[in-house]
Amino acid sequence: MVAQEVEKEPEETVEIKTDFGPPHYEIMLHPIIKKNYGKWKYHEVVRPGVIKRVAESGDVLYVVRFGSPRLLSVYTVRDICDIADKYSDGYLRFTSRHNVEFFLTDPDKIEPLIQEVQEKLGFPCGGTWDATKGEYGLSNIVHTQGWVHCHTPATDASGIVKSVMDELYDYFTDHKLPALCRISLACCANMCGAVHASDISMVGVHRKIPKIDDDAVRRTCEIPSTVAACPTGALKPDMKRKTVILDKDKCMYCGNCYTMCPGMPIFDPENDGVAVLVAGKISDARYPPQLSKVVVPWLPNNPPRWPEVVQTVKKILETWATHAEKYERIAEWIHRIGWERFFELTGLEFTEKLIDDYKRTPYIYASYRTSAAFRW
Amino acid sequence: MTEEVNKEELKQKVLEYLAKKPWQVRDLAKVLRVKKRELDKIVQELINEGKAAYWSSGSTTYVTTKDKLEEMEKKRSGT
Amino acid sequence: MTDVELPETPLLDELEKGPWPSFVKEIKRAAIEQEKAMKAGKKIKLPGAAKGLLKVLELAYKEKRTHWKHGGIVAVVGYGGGVIGRYCDLEDKVPEVWHFHTMRINMPSGWFYQTKALRAICDAWEKWGSGLTNFHGSTGDIILLGTRTEYLQPMANALAYLDKLYGSPAPFDIGGSGSDLRTPSACMGPALCEFACYDTLKACYEFTMRYQNELHRPMWPYKFKIKCSGCPNDCVAAKARSDFAIIGTWKDEIQIDQEAVKEYAKVIDIEKQVVKKCPTGAISWDGKELKIDNRECIRCMHCINVMPKALKPGKERGATILIGGKAPFVDGAIIGWVAIPFIPENELIEKCCEVLEAIWEWWDEEGKFRERVGELIWRKGMDEFLKVINQKADVRMVYAPRNNPFIFWRELNQ
Ligand code: HEM
Ligand code: HEM
Ligand code: HEM
Ligand code: SF4
Ligand code: SF4
Ligand code: SF4
Ligand code: SF4
Repeated sequence: MVAQEVEKEPEETVEIKTDFGPPHYEIMLHPIIKKNYGKWKYHEVVRPGVIKRVAESGDVLYVVRFGSPRLLSVYTVRDICDIADKYSDGYLRFTSRHNVEFFLTDPDKIEPLIQEVQEKLGFPCGGTWDATKGEYGLSNIVHTQGWVHCHTPATDASGIVKSVMDELYDYFTDHKLPALCRISLACCANMCGAVHASDISMVGVHRKIPKIDDDAVRRTCEIPSTVAACPTGALKPDMKRKTVILDKDKCMYCGNCYTMCPGMPIFDPENDGVAVLVAGKISDARYPPQLSKVVVPWLPNNPPRWPEVVQTVKKILETWATHAEKYERIAEWIHRIGWERFFELTGLEFTEKLIDDYKRTPYIYASYRTSAAFRW
Repeated sequence: MTEEVNKEELKQKVLEYLAKKPWQVRDLAKVLRVKKRELDKIVQELINEGKAAYWSSGSTTYVTTKDKLEEMEKKRSGT
Repeated sequence: MTDVELPETPLLDELEKGPWPSFVKEIKRAAIEQEKAMKAGKKIKLPGAAKGLLKVLELAYKEKRTHWKHGGIVAVVGYGGGVIGRYCDLEDKVPEVWHFHTMRINMPSGWFYQTKALRAICDAWEKWGSGLTNFHGSTGDIILLGTRTEYLQPMANALAYLDKLYGSPAPFDIGGSGSDLRTPSACMGPALCEFACYDTLKACYEFTMRYQNELHRPMWPYKFKIKCSGCPNDCVAAKARSDFAIIGTWKDEIQIDQEAVKEYAKVIDIEKQVVKKCPTGAISWDGKELKIDNRECIRCMHCINVMPKALKPGKERGATILIGGKAPFVDGAIIGWVAIPFIPENELIEKCCEVLEAIWEWWDEEGKFRERVGELIWRKGMDEFLKVINQKADVRMVYAPRNNPFIFWRELNQ
């Protein structure tokens, strides 16, 4: 197959070129955006998913947002382009949360656009919020690769996201929440998705040490670099047997050794699963940024639809949504009502697993309560 | 003149080390007792010459020889 | 209808149901249409990849485990990152995805596109890869999901000549991975948002262009991320997701349009929604005039968010630099903390470059393997870090001063 002399493709004969960088953003900007760059006056939410932007010049642009599954075939991307050519003068934008946005100048085209996107792509219009009214929609879930492409996941990413968003669909297409709520998912504790400051996050967790297959280690691995890859020093070389020894008390199940050495897989179908964290926040609005906190240490992997995870996330979201005041994000709400009430209202169980004992973190004791001021 | 020779020698030595396993340049610099910045340059030259190559864990990067890289990838891909 | 046969995937099929757009449909679509395109005479180098992925993924769903192994290959001449090597552990069963490497492509600042550019990427990737993508990966790159080792270089070349070979308005370059500068990203800033206190797109582009070598040839202890948000709302989550977060802010008074405030008063409860929600009680409203005590205001953005027509950030604009943000691996999660309270807008890019270069030099020298810059600062101390970036201590760097007197008086104990 490979050895055949075939005609070379143009890509195989061009001179190699490096370090020219990404396209300049200016050539990617819609003419109205380019004209009013830095001169926007205000915005208004027309309906969920549609934001009207008004420039000092008087120009108006309607930005219409749709949720996408993030994983897209080139054929769907071409359909998106067809729609952008038809409605949006050949320009579009993606958001940091995997939504796609079109730019319209004619408000009469908004409804036809939404119709056509729904028919051709099945992408829902929404993901916005109206801060003036204090009515918020749910945006898309930031997520990672999971079983689709990564080697260390403790769970899938796309499948849970799909299942959760199916369940929370109306929150995306409507403005039914009292404040911003950001949901994210990372399929292992490396947290490529950096979900550690989200209102609700789901994190794949391994709970068992890697299984060392001595034979496979001998065949496929570099022992010194595997040992060095372990961040906690849990691995030692076993020179005689040409393999590695693992100190199970030191292992944090990070899977770094598996990256270096395919002979010690970290996955474990029955013990891998999903932790749920809440009360992270990034914006400075009203209340300072906060790290997310673990409220459920583990839920089982139950593909294809992860009902336990979906129901837990929904329960948290809806409990918050019914009890919070306007503008109160989950962190602010819990700050007002106290963690005692959070666990009471959500029905989640507080266990010893939720008290920090990861000693590498310098701020480990910061979460221990030092007063006898309780809510009973 | 002597500097040139020393550099060639060092380059050769670096290649020998790189042939053994994938290295973090900073670790190899310690072993060879040279400045990391200096070794960066040598390694870059070896890469440009096609003798050395990067090996990436996705989050961190190592350097090894081209042959070693091929051997490692072959083992991993299971051929 | 289709003459393309797909593998049986009863578990994945469940994920085609429900209202949210389905990634399974996307994989199936790629499988069907790529095969059709090939039958129609298009050049397709990796036929059946999406089909292979369906098989592997169905098995993953059945067995509740991944079937991917890591590979370290980069294999694009001149680059040390931007490729994630993947091999499938079912090689003989699913040879179509035996190799399934990912390429990360540096997106334009703010994720704005012309359709011509996207179509060109699609055409190239239909030919040289699986036809599957992510828009976008969580660092911000375009992710091209799955190709073979021998096609990495041709695909990189296709992107480098995307203008000439595929009619894109510009070529695309490879993004970062491994121990390098990761592809910087920016909020949409002045392109569309009236809150932007500096030009985030320009800053992001400048850093990307100036540091191509750092982006493409990893030599550091670990990754380093730069993200640009135009205001404290931080829509790209720079504070949590980047080692070096540039957050737009201002120093003088919030600009108020009293007439517009009165308009808002007709539709919202200003006392309840704005005055009472101000964290420092800086706002008062007597039904006629909105007053802000700008000495008390901490520039949190809440009131501006609620009344964008009436309120605006001040005119003396610039940015705050937060340092050290990162995910928990390995010493715990960190939200970036203040390193430089304020840099005026007109000095911003130059000053950032100066500081970045100083930080990199220090970190490259002192950092241990896999030590992010935030962790190095923990190990070495803020006082040393402040010397590195030539910055005086400022009370705005802390919530409170230290609560112990165990100060290392190094200057007295040389
Ligand atoms: C003019 C345009 C925009 C405005 C006025 C705006 C406004 C805001 C506001 C007010 C917040 C903070 C809300 C709060 O904490 O109460 C926020 C946060 C955020 N925005 Fe935007 N935003 C804009 C565009 C976007 C876009 C296009 C995206 C991407 C989809 C985005 C993503 C985010 C994210 C992820 C956060 C959450 C940060 C956090 O966790 O606190 N924003 N934005
Ligand atoms: C803008 C930010 C904040 C505002 C406006 C705020 C406001 C308040 C208020 C009004 C109280 C008194 C509640 C009462 O006595 O019933 C309070 C109590 C408290 N706050 Fe905050 N807070 C903020 C941030 C924080 C943060 C960041 C933390 C910790 C991470 C925190 C921890 C506490 C605690 C532990 C109490 C209870 C203290 C006690 O019972 O003596 N607050 N906060
Ligand atoms: C030791 C820690 C980490 C390791 C070993 C690691 C490893 C990896 C690997 C192997 C991939 C490739 C996944 C695939 O495409 O198959 C990946 C992807 C990625 N990683 Fe990490 N990672 C680590 C931490 C992080 C952190 C802390 C972040 C961000 C703050 C991050 C951001 C990303 C992003 C954005 C991707 C692209 C995939 C996506 O968009 O989902 N990684 N990482
Ligand atoms: S979070 Fe973990 S499993 Fe998921 S893509 Fe990142 S490294 Fe892979
Ligand atoms: S899983 Fe992580 S902590 Fe455990 S042995 Fe492997 S590298 Fe070390
Ligand atoms: S960070 Fe601020 S300036 Fe940037 S898009 Fe968000 S609200 Fe606008
Ligand atoms: S920006 Fe925040 S602190 Fe300043 S006046 Fe408005 S609500 Fe108060």
